[in-house]
Amino acid sequence: MKNIKYALAAASLAGAAVAGTQAYAFELGVVAFQMSAETQARCANTVGEKAKELGWDAQVLNSNGSLETHASQLDNLIQKGVDAMILCMSKPVQFDGQFQAAKDAGIPVITISSGASPHTLFDVTPNEYVMAAEAAIYTLGSINFEGNILAQKFESNTGARIRGEVLDLVLSENPQVKLVGEHSMARTKSWQDDVRNGMSALILQNAGNFGAVWASFDGQALIIDDLLKEGGMEKGDVALVSIDGGQEVYRRIKDPYSMMTATVAIPFEDMAASAVEMMQKIAVDGVAKEDLVPGPYLFIPATLVDKTNVDEFIVE
Amino acid sequence: MKKLIETYGTALAGLALFVFLAIFANNFLSTANLFNVLKQVSFLSILAFGFTFALITSELDLAFANLCSLSAVVIGFLISSDVAWPVAVAAGIATGLFGGLLNGFLVTVLKVPSLISTLGTASIANGLAFMITGGVAFVGRWDQNFLYLGRGKIGSVPVIILFTLAILAVVLVLSTQTRLGVHLQATGENEEAARRSGIDTRKAKMIGLALSGLGAGVTAMFLVANLSSAAPQMAGDFMLNGIAATLLGMTMFTPAKPNILGTFVGALIIVMLSNGLVLLGAQYYIQDIMLGIIIIVSVAVSASVLKRAAFAL
Amino acid sequence: MPVKISTRNIFKNYGAVEALKGVSVDVHEGEIHAICGDNGAGKSTFIKILAGVEQPDRGEIVVDGKPVHFDSPHASLTAGIATIHQDLAVAPEMTIYQNIFMGAELTRNVLGLRLLDKPAMRRAAVGYMAQLNPSITDMNAKVNELSGGQRQAVAISRALRWNADTVILDEPTAALGVRETEQVLDLVRSLKASGKTVILISHAMQDVAAVADRISILRTGKNQIDLEGGDLTADNLSHYILSGTGDRFH
Ligand SMILES: Nc1ncnc2c1ncn2[C@@H]1O[C@H](COP(=O)(O)OP(=O)(O)OP(=O)(O)O)[C@@H](O)[C@H]1O
Ligand SMILES: [Mg+2]
Repeated sequence: MKNIKYALAAASLAGAAVAGTQAYAFELGVVAFQMSAETQARCANTVGEKAKELGWDAQVLNSNGSLETHASQLDNLIQKGVDAMILCMSKPVQFDGQFQAAKDAGIPVITISSGASPHTLFDVTPNEYVMAAEAAIYTLGSINFEGNILAQKFESNTGARIRGEVLDLVLSENPQVKLVGEHSMARTKSWQDDVRNGMSALILQNAGNFGAVWASFDGQALIIDDLLKEGGMEKGDVALVSIDGGQEVYRRIKDPYSMMTATVAIPFEDMAASAVEMMQKIAVDGVAKEDLVPGPYLFIPATLVDKTNVDEFIVE
Repeated sequence: MKKLIETYGTALAGLALFVFLAIFANNFLSTANLFNVLKQVSFLSILAFGFTFALITSELDLAFANLCSLSAVVIGFLISSDVAWPVAVAAGIATGLFGGLLNGFLVTVLKVPSLISTLGTASIANGLAFMITGGVAFVGRWDQNFLYLGRGKIGSVPVIILFTLAILAVVLVLSTQTRLGVHLQATGENEEAARRSGIDTRKAKMIGLALSGLGAGVTAMFLVANLSSAAPQMAGDFMLNGIAATLLGMTMFTPAKPNILGTFVGALIIVMLSNGLVLLGAQYYIQDIMLGIIIIVSVAVSASVLKRAAFAL
Repeated sequence: MPVKISTRNIFKNYGAVEALKGVSVDVHEGEIHAICGDNGAGKSTFIKILAGVEQPDRGEIVVDGKPVHFDSPHASLTAGIATIHQDLAVAPEMTIYQNIFMGAELTRNVLGLRLLDKPAMRRAAVGYMAQLNPSITDMNAKVNELSGGQRQAVAISRALRWNADTVILDEPTAALGVRETEQVLDLVRSLKASGKTVILISHAMQDVAAVADRISILRTGKNQIDLEGGDLTADNLSHYILSGTGDRFH
């Protein structure tokens, strides 16, 4: 039994050594707030890959969705003295102290989809309002701006809430379209069940009485798609529109048995690549930040994906 | 010799880790980094002290992390509703304590095994935290005096480290030098023997679980003050880390028994490891793998108490 | 001698098992009162009720003339009754001195705080153990490192530590060798000499005959026979237990 303790010590040292130090290269710290979310994993991994292409030493960390872990990881990277940091879905107000410390230590920080902070260079983000408007107008267009729709909302996430509010705005300008049922998702670990329960009730209540369904993000849309299929619907019976993008959604847009009609694809890969590219220009080439990005945001355009262009997005 | 390794083996391994990192990890030994490590240890160890007290009485508290999140949310809610921060802090700590007492009531009066009852309260706490916040974090630029608890420094020493050392001293004395401490231990070791010796074992278990809740409340205060925000899953990551620190602690000083000093050193090792791995440039998954190894090995080394607590169904 | 402890018609069921069916015993102050009977007669159950470990379904306990209700072992201990149970109830993972002082730890004042006085407990523990088993001197040893007899010594020391008026011993010599048995009997006598009341349960008739002032024989949950000690022999006692009658010998 006692030997196990040595084994433990040895294992920890070995594990650390495997990941050990190399000759000097530009060191980039990458932290994703919650990598179990697919979008964040795509974002952080792309940053890591792009950085390696530049010959950088990129270290990717995952905060498991914990504020305290995120703060600790930022502190640890600052202490390590990395040359730069790129953060995915961080939170400027909560980590104000860490961002300030990074700035004081002369470490440039670019955030992705995090929000602006006076201590970072800028935030790379799609324009949530523009995306939301595209999805809302596409949804209404799918029923020729006349008839009934259902909506699956999510109030407790800023982005998703903006999307819902923009939908409401578009609806208020189009009184011929009625929102006959809406469900707001609870933010719990079993949010999937919540969507399933709430939506299946709405679908039953309004059977045959709606032409389109709008969902605040693709994860919800996939569940709703399954419900509609279970309800015996076929492609073309109703339009299903959402926002985010991802391989599974693209596959369904192509799938002749799926209701999935369109999504607005957030180009996480493009955002990640831009973040690395900008960091290269600023931190390595010495270009002034103001010459590249004048304000606190670098907006990356999002693309509406439906059956006409989905093939461009599917990765085989 | 054998006894020596049994008693100090893990602590020596921790020392070896320290020396290894001092040599191979750049900046590990810088004053700023050492304080950084100690600050991170602070949150983890205060929380784990509570769990340790519950485990000393042979009860598992699987609710402490969620109770901590709930307490944090209560503090955040009250402060952002313009309640004076000392009042908010008192209410947050009381929330943790109340949760612990509720666990104690379920275990000692309703006789629901702690493994089940604390799982239940964990879920309730999680639900309440989401109810209060609606899932959104309370964020703000709050009273500097309050934030000082988490962010303040005296010279270059974060004040939270001083608080933690004071708390360590108090709980160390409480657990090893007072009648209450031995009563908790006797209750955990052999409840019937303790009862027949005139110890109120129900009260002891109640106190063990209540201290666990109290630890959650106090940690919440520091967490909120440090991050100037409160979110419903604020302390989620502490569940596994806290248990790991306590289990690792059970492999030293008083082998196979949960003990405060062991928990502190356990927390120190875990935080050093995660800090060291970042400094060494390790990718994120290495850390999770290491934590898993630590838990499994510690349980293998000191399984008996855990089994008694977990399987007394 | 006045009656120290008196029980009236104690009943106790464990589910369908009727362990006690009306036990009435008077224990006189300053005497050694033995309780005998076959396995399963209900001796330990009776003791557990006096010790507050179990509560009677019916019946009355009177201590020093006052009716009492022992709802916990603590209540019995504070009423001046210390018990060594048949299963000893020690904490094997704790040290000898911790077991002896369990629930009644010694403290001292350090800067206004009441902290454990470990050296004093260790010293006192050596004293208690020496009366029973002088060979054990390391009070920091864990009880699970001790032999059955040594553990018994720890359990007895713990009862002595309470400094109670009445000491109950449930088969204290069961695991003991000849010398250790003699030491326990000496201890029982010295308890009596210091004015304490002793209740002794034993299957060893020669021990009972040697020390008991009064004997109650339990049979299937009732006290069948109450005898005065003195001129009884072990053989006499065995006969009473076997025959179950109070007839004097022919
Ligand atoms: N906790 C219990 N649950 C159920 N039955 C019990 C329990 N304790 C004792 N009994 C039963 O009560 C009866 C009396 O048991 P008790 O232990 O009092 O006998 P005893 O006279 O002490 O026997 P021994 O000489 O073997 O120690 C027995 O039939 C026993 O099986
Ligand atoms: Mg018995």
